[in-house]
Amino acid sequence: MKMIKWIGLAVVSLLSLFPFYIMIVMSTHYNEDLFKGIPIWPGDHLMANLRTVLAADFGRVYSNSLIVSVASVVLATLTSTLIGYAVAKFEFHGRRWLQTFVVLTMMVPTQVGLIGYIIEMRNIGVGNTLWPVILIWGAFPFGAFFMIQFMRDAIPNDLIECARIDGCSEPGIFFRIVLPIVKPGLATLATLVFLWSWNNYLLPLVTINKSEWYTLPVFISNLGIVHRTDYAARMAALTMTTVPVLLLFVLGSRTFMKGLTAGAVKG
Amino acid sequence: MSVSSAVSRKRKWGPRMWPYLFSLPFVLTYAAFQLYPVIYSFVLSLYDWNGISDRSFIGFKNYVQLWTNDPLFIKSLWNTLIMMGMFIPVTLILGLTLAYWTFHLVRGKNLIQTINVLPYITTPVAIGFIFSYLFDWQTGLVNLFLTKVGILEEGFYWLQDEWGSRAIIALMVVWRNLGYFMIIYMAGMTIIPQDVYEAAKVDGSTGLHTFRTITMPLLRNITVFLVVTSVISGFQLFDEPKLLYGGWSGSAQVGGPDNSALTIIWKFVDESFISNTRFGYASAIAYSLFLLILLFSIASYRLTAPKEDKR
Repeated sequence: MKMIKWIGLAVVSLLSLFPFYIMIVMSTHYNEDLFKGIPIWPGDHLMANLRTVLAADFGRVYSNSLIVSVASVVLATLTSTLIGYAVAKFEFHGRRWLQTFVVLTMMVPTQVGLIGYIIEMRNIGVGNTLWPVILIWGAFPFGAFFMIQFMRDAIPNDLIECARIDGCSEPGIFFRIVLPIVKPGLATLATLVFLWSWNNYLLPLVTINKSEWYTLPVFISNLGIVHRTDYAARMAALTMTTVPVLLLFVLGSRTFMKGLTAGAVKG
Repeated sequence: MSVSSAVSRKRKWGPRMWPYLFSLPFVLTYAAFQLYPVIYSFVLSLYDWNGISDRSFIGFKNYVQLWTNDPLFIKSLWNTLIMMGMFIPVTLILGLTLAYWTFHLVRGKNLIQTINVLPYITTPVAIGFIFSYLFDWQTGLVNLFLTKVGILEEGFYWLQDEWGSRAIIALMVVWRNLGYFMIIYMAGMTIIPQDVYEAAKVDGSTGLHTFRTITMPLLRNITVFLVVTSVISGFQLFDEPKLLYGGWSGSAQVGGPDNSALTIIWKFVDESFISNTRFGYASAIAYSLFLLILLFSIASYRLTAPKEDKR
C-alpha cells in the first residue's frame, strides 16, 4: 500500500513537471534538430534562441506585461483594502448593503460585460492601449471580499479605538496601523492579482491589436502566425515567460497556497 | 481654534464620513468599468448591430435566434458540457486521492504540493502551446512514443479527431487544476479535528474505512465548493481550446475539427471580435451564458445549502 502511494505521487508529480521540462529542453536546441528525434537532453543552442526571441521585440512586450501586472496589483489591492477596512471595521448605514454588493459582484463573470467594456474604452479614447487591461482590476470583487474577511480577523478593534482616542486621523490610522497589520493579506492578494493579470489572455486578445502594446500571452500566441516557424525560439520565449513566475511561486509558495485556499475553506 | 472644538468636530465628521470615503474607490470603479459595461451589453443584446452601421432595435430576437436557430451555439453548449463532464469528475477523484496520500506523508509534503501546483499558475498560452506540440500527429512526442513502443502503427491525428480533441482539452484542464484541487482538499483536511480520527482508531477503524466514513463526509462542503466553482469556470472555458488550435501548428482554426472543440465563450469571442463584429448577437450569447451560470448557482445553492441554514 505504501509503495502504491509513493509510486502514484511520484508519477503524478513527474507528469506535472514533464511539460515544463520538455519546454525548457526544446528551447536549448537548434530548430531543425528538434524533429530528428525525441529531444530528451538539453542542447547548446539556448543563447542563439534567446537572441532570436529578443530580436522580435520581446523586451518591449515583457515590459508591457510587467507594467500591466504591477499597475493591476497596485489598483486592485488599494481599492480592495480600503473597502475591506470600511466594511470590516466601521459601523455605518449601508454597511450590510455594501457587503451584499461585494458578494453579488463576485458572481458576475467578466465576459458578460466584455463588449460593453470595449466599446466604452474606445469611446473614452483608450482602446488599443494598455489601459483597458489595467482598469478592469480597479474593482476586483474577490479582492474586496478577501480583504473584508481578512481585516475582520486580523485587526483588533481596541487598537483602532486607542489610536482614535490618541488623536490619530482616520487616514493616519489606515496607513500607520491597519496597513502594517494586514501585510500578509496584502502579500497574498498581490501575488494572486499579479498571477491572474500576467496570465490573462482573453482581455488583451480582444482589446489590443497593435503589436507595440501586446502583452506576453497575446504576443506568444501570435508568434506562429507572424514570424517564421521557429519552434525552438518560441519555446525559448515560453520559457522566459513562465519560468520567472514559477520561481517566484516556489520562493513564496506558502503565501501563494494560503491565498489560493483562502476562499474555499471558509466559504 | 481651541483643541476641544477641533476634537468635537472630528468626532462629528470623522468616523461618520470615513467609511463612505474608503468604500468609494471600489464602488465607483466597479460602477464605471464593470457595472456600466454589463448593463450596456444587455442593451446591445436587444439590438441588431455590427459595430459600424446604425443599430436597430429588435427586442429579444437575438435570443430567439440564438436558442432556436443557431445549431453552432447549441453545439458549443454541448461541447462545453461534455468537456466539463470529462474533467470535473476526474480532477475531483484524483485530487482527493492525491490530497489524502500527501496529507499523511511525514516528509516531502510541501515539495509535492509545490510541484503539483506549478501547472495551475502557468500561463494557459504555454499550456496550449506545449500540448498542441505533444499531440501533434507528425512531430508530437506522444505519437513518436506510441509508434516507437509499437502501440500504434502510425501517428494518430489527435487534434483532428472529434473526441480526441475534446479529450485533450479535458486533459489540459485536469493537468492544470489537479494541484489546485489537491491543496484545497488538503486545506480542508487540516480543519478536521484530529480527535475524530483518534476516536475512530480506538473504535478499530482503519485506513480506507476511516477515509470513507470520516474524511469524505467531512469534506463534503469542500467538494461542493470545488464542483460549483469548476462548473462556473467550466462554462467560461476558452483559453485551453483556443490555444490548442492557435499554438503549435500556427493555423488559427476556429472551433477545432468540425467545431467539436468550440466552447460557448469561443463562439462569443468569434462572433464579436474574430470572424464577425456582431456585437448585438454576441451580447445575447454572453447574457445567455450569464443566465445559465445564475440558474446553476441558484440550483446548486438550494440543493446543497446545509440544513441548519434553512431554519
